Amino acid sequence: MGISIETSTTIDCDILIVGAGGAGLRCGAEVLERRPGTKIVALTKVSHPQKSHTSTAQGGLAAVDPKDPLDSVLFHAFDTWKGSDCTADQNVVKKVCESAWDQILWLENRGMHFSRERDGRLSKRTFGGHTRNFGESSAYRAVFEADRTGKGIMDTSWGESLKRGITFINQSIAVELLIEDKQCFGCVVFNQKSGEFITVNARATIISTGGSGQVYQVTTNCRQNTGDGLALVLESGLPVMDPEAVQFHPTGIVGPGILASETLRSVGGILRNNALEPFMSKYAPKMKELAPRDLVARAIESEIREGRGVLNPDHNIQHVWIDLRHLPDEVHQKQIPEVSSFFKRYVNLDPQKELCPVRPSNHYHMGGIPTNEFGEVEDKVQAVINGLFAVGECAASSFHGFNRLGTNSILELITMGKIAADRVIGCLSRQSETIVYPTTSTRFESRFKRYFESTGTENIGLIRNKLRQVMTRNVSVFRTEKSIAEAIDIIKELKLRSENSALSSTSLSLNQELIQRWELDNLMAVAMVICEAARARKESRGAHFRDDYPDRKDQYNYHTLVSMAHFGVFDLDRREIDRSLFDEGKEHHEKFDFIERKY
Amino acid sequence: MSLAYDITLNVHRYNPDDNRHWVQSYEINAGRIMRFVDLFRKINDEQDPTLAWGSSCEHGQCGTCSMKVNSKPLLACELLVENAVNYFKTTVFTVEPLDVAPVVRDLVIDSDKAYQRVDAVKPYIIDPEPPRGEGEEHQISPELLDQYVNATRCINCFCCASACLSSHKNFLGPNSMLAAIVRVLDPREKEKEERLKCLYSENGIYRCHSSQACSFVCPKDIDVAHFIALAKKGFE
Repeated sequence: MGISIETSTTIDCDILIVGAGGAGLRCGAEVLERRPGTKIVALTKVSHPQKSHTSTAQGGLAAVDPKDPLDSVLFHAFDTWKGSDCTADQNVVKKVCESAWDQILWLENRGMHFSRERDGRLSKRTFGGHTRNFGESSAYRAVFEADRTGKGIMDTSWGESLKRGITFINQSIAVELLIEDKQCFGCVVFNQKSGEFITVNARATIISTGGSGQVYQVTTNCRQNTGDGLALVLESGLPVMDPEAVQFHPTGIVGPGILASETLRSVGGILRNNALEPFMSKYAPKMKELAPRDLVARAIESEIREGRGVLNPDHNIQHVWIDLRHLPDEVHQKQIPEVSSFFKRYVNLDPQKELCPVRPSNHYHMGGIPTNEFGEVEDKVQAVINGLFAVGECAASSFHGFNRLGTNSILELITMGKIAADRVIGCLSRQSETIVYPTTSTRFESRFKRYFESTGTENIGLIRNKLRQVMTRNVSVFRTEKSIAEAIDIIKELKLRSENSALSSTSLSLNQELIQRWELDNLMAVAMVICEAARARKESRGAHFRDDYPDRKDQYNYHTLVSMAHFGVFDLDRREIDRSLFDEGKEHHEKFDFIERKY
Repeated sequence: MSLAYDITLNVHRYNPDDNRHWVQSYEINAGRIMRFVDLFRKINDEQDPTLAWGSSCEHGQCGTCSMKVNSKPLLACELLVENAVNYFKTTVFTVEPLDVAPVVRDLVIDSDKAYQRVDAVKPYIIDPEPPRGEGEEHQISPELLDQYVNATRCINCFCCASACLSSHKNFLGPNSMLAAIVRVLDPREKEKEERLKCLYSENGIYRCHSSQACSFVCPKDIDVAHFIALAKKGFE
């Protein structure tokens, strides 16, 4: 088959941003504000930056207002450390928490439409796990734009990027990182619309490709969140950090996986199994439905696993019910109108009259591309890859450790975007004017040729569905040695099957099947490193729960680094957890020891 | 309660490789709460991997999957089979790409071209009013914010632009107008003159025929026509 897989053009720029979501564009906008004229190219896989997953974040943005006499940055740092199950890096926690309010001001001063108090100042609300005085009482720390805070961030960072002249290549993907001698020179890019491969040479490359939620069957993530950035670095021989740390929200709406907020349980919603028994009292006799997220998620999974789930025939997904029928009309109308409307809109049920189907839904990947506190990507011995940065959900700096607190994700993405920009600006001013770019890209050619030359009748969509089912069944809320080993075997088999799938069309231009084929390889790579890291961590920590090892163990007080340059061939390493807040020995430093995560 | 429908989708397709347009019919057995995006995925997985369509968040927050179903512009992620059957009173649906930009392939349009009209109104603060002091936020009363906050909920799905009588000619379109109107009302924007010039230009709000189709089709239930009327009255 005479398909020509080669780069047709070369673009030279100062900065290449791979993934134009909140983190990537916050970085780009900062650079252009302080260094006008910098040539920045931003790629996005979606049709336009506004369609990024950042736009879907609802709740809020955690930040300690320096004017608030009751709150402090140290409290926020503590909550983040404790929430992470003592696996966040304290240098990063300190930096992000300290810089948080400045980021709010950046957004506000540039036009984000935050919700306001009567005096015109920013409204704040409480969120799970955010406390005053080291757990004493709830902190009012989350600023927000109604229930669309992520949209506000996205619109603002995109608007600023547009205003200051970033060049966007929409509907494009990075297919190979150009790295030589620990220096990154940019990427090979595939423009889906034109069907062209382009070499983009850049002095600094920012990977901000977002999450990997599509690895799982039920997820709150966008369709495009297929872990592309993680697969990109793995293929370059670089490690991924803590991939086993995957967060599940207890109540995703079956089948789309959309979040049904905690509010439903806090106003009195009752979880019921197939026999309509309220089951939470078995798992948390005191707190019942109000127990922490991970406990509720495990309770629901247990019911499903033990045969007390309900199968939704349309989406072929097991679930339990949330019962809201007994709540007074006023609660439905005043306290939960939005979430109620989600049930109406996406499953056509009236929560006032009918039971609503929910189940744990993949929500966030704490793990990702390992970076230092400046957003610079590191290899397995913690040596920096010059000119290569990673920010946002695809990166692990690590601010969230093994469990992320609500409202900390969009804070992290804008802050790390800004921090990486500081570093990039420094890099650009140090580098000489002329850089000789090596021309070594080859991997993408063989990969895409393989796709076009493949023959056979295997179906990419069905393989993807099978992968997502296996990961949901075997490596999600619960994991065991056996379930993980079985998943690895199945994924290996799926990988072999995927090699026998012929593409229906040889076109390069907007060939959706070709992109899905490429994504499938990424999904399988990410799934494999999640499995391998989960297998190696024989303990339970944060969102990583092993049935066979249900407790946290001090011997695992480190970050997992897993490399997989060739499919199924793993290389495991470790990174120390940064404990600078503890080591500094200042007042309250003992709060930053390896404490128990109990609420 | 589990009910399935035998659905026919007549999809308007386009192949740029040989510049061919045609209508292709797909027969699908679909559960009552399957959404139209689920149907397209089912077609890709089981019948035809070449059918191109766009989506991203798939829960009405991003506006990628906008298209026309039986001529109505809407978000495919929000259209449940059961609701579609009841609303259109048929099980046969014509599915077309949105007509606000050239089609790239099948149901995917050139969103760069569609967005050029939004970019033209400068969807950001052109000249920011500085806050009262260094390290301060602006103070905006909830009452003032209420005047324009609904307009900020626009996700640029272009359903309004598709339904609008005028936006196929020179009108920049209802969603673009919303972006401009927001910054006229936002006290943080100093550059009001350029905003007003844009709104009252050749391509601005006077192209609007007040059909209110924009408000009727908006998936976010924004009363777009109200904001355009406000601008027509000079924000009195």
